[in-house]
Amino acid sequence: MTVQDVRGKEFRLSDGTRLQDLLDVENGYISARIVSDPELYELEMKKIFARVWVPIAHVSEIPNKGDYVLRYIGDEEVIVARSEHNTIHVVLNACTHRGMPVCRSERGNSSHFRCPYHGFTYRQDGQLIGVPAHKEAFGEALDKELYHLVQAKVAIVYGLIFATFNDNPPPIDEYLGTMKWYLQMMLQHTPEGMEVIGVPQRWVVKSNWKLGGDNFVGDAYHTFMTHYSAVQLRIVPSGDPKFAYYGVHVSHDNGHGLGLIGAPPEVELPRFYGVPEDIAKKIEATLPPGQQKAFERLAYIHGTIFPNMSFGYFSWATEDGKAPGSYLTLRQWVPRGPYEMEVFTWVLAEKEASDAWKHLARETFVRTFGASGMLEQDDAEMWSNITRATKGFIAREKLNFIYRMGINRKPEQGDWPGPGTVYQGDYSEQNQLNIWRAWARLISE
Amino acid sequence: MTQKTQANISLGDPTYLKLQGFLQEEAYLLDQGAFREWLNLLDPEVRYVMPIRTTRERVHGSGLVDQMVFFDENYASLKKRIDRLDTEYAWGEDPPSRTRRFIDNIRIKQLDERTYEVRSYFLVLRSRGNVPDYQILSGQKVDTIVVYDDGCKLKHRLIYPDQATLGVENLGIFI
Ligand code: FES
Ligand SMILES: [Fe+2]
Repeated sequence: MTVQDVRGKEFRLSDGTRLQDLLDVENGYISARIVSDPELYELEMKKIFARVWVPIAHVSEIPNKGDYVLRYIGDEEVIVARSEHNTIHVVLNACTHRGMPVCRSERGNSSHFRCPYHGFTYRQDGQLIGVPAHKEAFGEALDKELYHLVQAKVAIVYGLIFATFNDNPPPIDEYLGTMKWYLQMMLQHTPEGMEVIGVPQRWVVKSNWKLGGDNFVGDAYHTFMTHYSAVQLRIVPSGDPKFAYYGVHVSHDNGHGLGLIGAPPEVELPRFYGVPEDIAKKIEATLPPGQQKAFERLAYIHGTIFPNMSFGYFSWATEDGKAPGSYLTLRQWVPRGPYEMEVFTWVLAEKEASDAWKHLARETFVRTFGASGMLEQDDAEMWSNITRATKGFIAREKLNFIYRMGINRKPEQGDWPGPGTVYQGDYSEQNQLNIWRAWARLISE
Repeated sequence: MTQKTQANISLGDPTYLKLQGFLQEEAYLLDQGAFREWLNLLDPEVRYVMPIRTTRERVHGSGLVDQMVFFDENYASLKKRIDRLDTEYAWGEDPPSRTRRFIDNIRIKQLDERTYEVRSYFLVLRSRGNVPDYQILSGQKVDTIVVYDDGCKLKHRLIYPDQATLGVENLGIFI
């Protein structure tokens, strides 16, 4: 994947601007227009969200037959449901008759979905199974067998549920590529894997949806300033302002990327994020050696699965004198127009772990990330203000963001055991450019 | 210890007024940014929890979920949050929001000699920067408050939001 993919296409916006003039990936400049243009927002819905695999839920959220949750692909609501045959289905939450949402409870358990408008009834997989007064109303003119809520394809990867309305999507393994190795490490390092604790937190930030993914995929550098309060208060246990530098920055095909941060050699880190001994034993027995080596000595992972699902695997101390807690968080940046997103954020812990470990994970998460999180509060402040400052005509026309950090650095595997394009030191903007490359390729296709 | 009473304490009762005064004082201190004084109103064993509201059908009740929450705090973590506001790096609240907390519909039951369950509605208006729109939070608080001779202490707070998707950019404020 090179800049040629962008340059080769002559995609033009309605005012005649060539897409390639908004992104100079080679030299590391991206026009502010890309995070604020309503025309681009419409193109994203059509060319990105309607085409790629979008992670939207975790299997542990719908453990039983008939369980369902409502989620979003792009800005459109979908039902994620588990059928009587234990298969997972994703359908658009809009009736085939006139488009009324057939499910209006954000989670629950049901053998069917009944439309409140005229009563068409659907199975969990979206098949139409009931039409009131069928004989008098439609008679022969309607064959139930033929109708189905608009159906997405579904793929499950280490418990994460992906869906797409693309009729011919790439195989999911091909789409995730080398990112999959890291998903296994985070989501399936014990036999039962991770489980969502409770439900996601949801709130609205007046930010373009892409700023969340751009931050999480590679912006280790912002921690130095945005999260300096966490350093001062020793929420970052080492108290080192450059805590997010000591690691690797890894890009994958199709825009995915992550950073994995440990600590300088002289700083001690608890094994496997400090999991209790019984879980550590399970990790040893479950994870292949490469992932085990990578996972053994980490304190922070941040990353994004293109287009809008980010994750963090963090360790923080939220009370003086109390051992740090660790957790995995997933977060989806759901677009709600060019200037607003809804944040969904989940916290996960090993399914087999004790209640005490899960409780510590939840407590540590809520105090550091999520709506009230002592770190995340300040991220939201950045992104909403960026969106406010860049949606005007002058910013769109004249402001180019600098993405030059690490631009002259060559990939270097070092002793990192994982795949992908690996850079040493996590202060870099290569992952961010990698997202923009994938974004531009899809928009221009 | 007196028996657990089921009846609400009536509106003009001196205990009612005392607890109402406590909630108003608390709201005032928070609106003034007097966070350390606010901390003095909390019992050292305080629990401060904000469950999540989900949208469910009527038959499933309130839709409140407490397996996951927006706040999961004790005295030490609340103090940490306040210490953070005093660093010069708490960007989400610096410049600070202007907040106005309104408390209404207070209903009080006595739990034991000194302890009361105080239910109240809250409305928080939050104004940030030069944006004229308010961020608004509403809901119900269920507090356990202990009345001492020299004042009251908040021992337990449950904050039940009305919104399933919060309309605030962050919860950098206390409720
Ligand atoms: S819109 Fe659903 S049955 Fe008519
Ligand atoms: Fe951040």
